[in-house]
Amino acid sequence: MSEKVRVFIASENRLVRESLSRILSKRCDLEVVSSQGLADALGEAMHSDTEVLVLDSLEYLFLEKSEEKAVPERLARPRVLLVCMEEDERLFLRAIRAGVLGFIAKDASALDVVAAVRCLARGEAVCPPRLCRFLFDFVAAQAVEFPQSCVKIRLGLTRREQQLIPMIGRGLTNKEIASQLNLSEQTVKNHVHRILHKVGVGNRLSLLGALEPGMLN
Amino acid sequence: MKAIRVLVANRPRLMRELILATIADQPDIEIVGEINDDSEMENAVNSTRPDFLIVALEKSNRLPAACDLVLQNHPRMKVIAISPNSNSSVFYWTSLQVRSSEIEASEEGVLGALRGLHARVEEVQ
Repeated sequence: MSEKVRVFIASENRLVRESLSRILSKRCDLEVVSSQGLADALGEAMHSDTEVLVLDSLEYLFLEKSEEKAVPERLARPRVLLVCMEEDERLFLRAIRAGVLGFIAKDASALDVVAAVRCLARGEAVCPPRLCRFLFDFVAAQAVEFPQSCVKIRLGLTRREQQLIPMIGRGLTNKEIASQLNLSEQTVKNHVHRILHKVGVGNRLSLLGALEPGMLN
Repeated sequence: MKAIRVLVANRPRLMRELILATIADQPDIEIVGEINDDSEMENAVNSTRPDFLIVALEKSNRLPAACDLVLQNHPRMKVIAISPNSNSSVFYWTSLQVRSSEIEASEEGVLGALRGLHARVEEVQ
């Protein structure tokens, strides 16, 4: 038999914690390792070997970030399922940016929560259909508004590599870039090497010639 | 002893299902109905005659408007309003003009309130 998915529940509402905990615990493939109020859960969820963190407040993730450095490296970061009593598009986007992988809205059922926990455990993302449509529209609109971003994405550049391009365009040295981004000079050198490889050029000068001017800003 | 009759009308759906899961296995409590739309509240109360109505507590810490209307016609029915967003809950008993925030929004708190208040009513009657 495969191991159970380890679930941590963080909610300010005790009734939600208790009843959700009981519903999830009844499933033979899920194990609720802890259920706590947000203040008590702060940091603890990240320090346990939780696989899925179920929470009903996005603010928790921002508070938790202040403790992020203390998370032991041996532990993988739990996948976060946000159970949101309000279906709000801006909140949904903030949740995605904060690293949430699953979003359950107010019209969800308890069984939907169970299914979502299993999906996250499998490495999938969960999104209500209406917000999924919103996400498609949002990404499509961004592609129109920021064509240079599309080019960067098409080239397969990571966010960090995209961040470096304008700095290279300004003529900064590896050392200067490293200083600005709080990175080591060797790390910057590696990033630059990978950028050149992805764009298919041999040096910085060729890189500037190969990219559109808008991408260098 | 008669089972405690409860009508559950909480929103959102998830909150309602969590409350139903809390009281479903209790042998002395009978769920007489579940509604997902406040417009159904009057009909549901008329047809099921619950001892308790459990509803969502609005953000302003008030009962849903539909609930106010129902209570005018059913002043003996008790109402427990539970917030989906916080630990707040309020108990109303219109015929005795009771409004209390002392119920803990937890499984123990809600079950204790249903049993304790029902027992007091039986004593009075």
